[in-house]
Amino acid sequence: MKNLAPLCNLLLTIMLSVWTVLLWDPLPLAALLALELMLIGYAGQAGKLARPIFGLTLVAGFFAIIQLPFDVAVPTAIASGLKMMVMTVAFLLLFATTKLPGLTAALVKQAHIPYEYAFLFTSALRFVPDFLAESQAVREAQTCRGYVPSRNPVKRLISYAAMVEPMVLRAISRSETMAMSLELRGFGSARRTFSQQIEFRGRDYLVLAVLAALTAVVVIYR
Amino acid sequence: MLDIQQVSFAYPGHAPALKEVSLTVAAGDFIGLAGRNGSGKTTLTRLMVGLAKPVSGQVLLDGQNTIQCGPATMARAIGYVFQNPDRQIFRDTVAQEVAFGPEQMEWSDSERAEAVAAALNMTGLESVAAAYPRGLTRSFRQRVAIASALALKPRLLILDEPTSGQDAEEKAQLMNLLDQLNQQGIGVILVTHDMELLLAHSRRAVVLHQGEKVFDGPTEELFAAAAATQVTEWGLRVPDVAAVAGKLEKPLGAVRSVEELADRIEGQLRGDEREKSGAPV
Repeated sequence: MKNLAPLCNLLLTIMLSVWTVLLWDPLPLAALLALELMLIGYAGQAGKLARPIFGLTLVAGFFAIIQLPFDVAVPTAIASGLKMMVMTVAFLLLFATTKLPGLTAALVKQAHIPYEYAFLFTSALRFVPDFLAESQAVREAQTCRGYVPSRNPVKRLISYAAMVEPMVLRAISRSETMAMSLELRGFGSARRTFSQQIEFRGRDYLVLAVLAALTAVVVIYR
Repeated sequence: MLDIQQVSFAYPGHAPALKEVSLTVAAGDFIGLAGRNGSGKTTLTRLMVGLAKPVSGQVLLDGQNTIQCGPATMARAIGYVFQNPDRQIFRDTVAQEVAFGPEQMEWSDSERAEAVAAALNMTGLESVAAAYPRGLTRSFRQRVAIASALALKPRLLILDEPTSGQDAEEKAQLMNLLDQLNQQGIGVILVTHDMELLLAHSRRAVVLHQGEKVFDGPTEELFAAAAATQVTEWGLRVPDVAAVAGKLEKPLGAVRSVEELADRIEGQLRGDEREKSGAPV
């Protein structure tokens, strides 16, 4: 997938999500998940994504189990858990194999989305790891001052202010710095070019053909 | 009070960050912890306060193994001041901010008020107790972070690069504060890349290089002429004062500041003149 055009990767992710929405049978959903895992292995990202996928499996399992006391049929509960997992893994696969500048360029040049919106989308994604690192740093800073989350849910909720407020204030400060930095580097100028290779090649058209065929199968199957 | 015995640590999927490091911190020590980026300084201090757990070896506080203690428990004995104070400041006034720790410990109102007043007094923040902490200068915000740690009455204070982003005057004020706290019996471990500050203020220097402890001794010995070559190999810069003192024909011994260097040179020149004139030295 690293060798595919960014837009092709994005279309693959979208189609995986569409199929997931259309399907309600656990078996094909499990097959989709297996396909995604194989693609992750083929892309050489198995080691990197093993931990998030393990965590996701636990959440999906919990999501499926929690429905059972509400008279939801077992296959439906399993399908719900699988749906959540297949859709999330599809995006993990996209972000593990596609460079964000390439994705921005594809959204602007090929999907004709205004640059500001495409940039907003990809820069928001870029800041997710930063945000997680920041939340970890804030949590450590507060625990070193004696912070321990209370067992009382109300007190616990109130005490989250100690985490959330520094993060929000830092985020605002960083966004101001970033906005200035972008403007100083010519963001918003009328003409802009992209250096990323985003053109479709033979293998991309082949993938699109397979996607179209599989979509037809899914529509007929359901 | 703190005894680190043969501690090793590695982040998952990375080479060992610390290799069998041992270190004893006595009450009232002033230690400068130095080493190039990635040498293991911050990892070592994180192990001290329970933010990370050793892969092997142990960290003893007053003879007790701290493996089960989290940072919140350790905060009663060891205060940790992070490089960036903005990661912890979130309340409307300095006094409220400093009171956060005592509140977490569920101290009584009077205990809390006493702890906050003492911490503000020790850090010289009484005049800004009612001020909005984020509106203060970086230097003051760093003081607020120190006061927040002191409010829990720790015996040891660890500061990770506390002078970064501050001008010379602010640095001097902060270091004076640390000297004062140390004189009051609070141990200080200062993680720093600033060798001038390390030489001028810490009595003991510990150097880490590639996860190993390569020096532990009096700070002035670290920068003695014979050791200077090794010091640069460890990624440290020999302070100008020590470099000048080391190049003089007659050894001056341990020199920590420009003032001390000037005094010694002046004394030496006077001695030379007396020798030449035949007057008693």
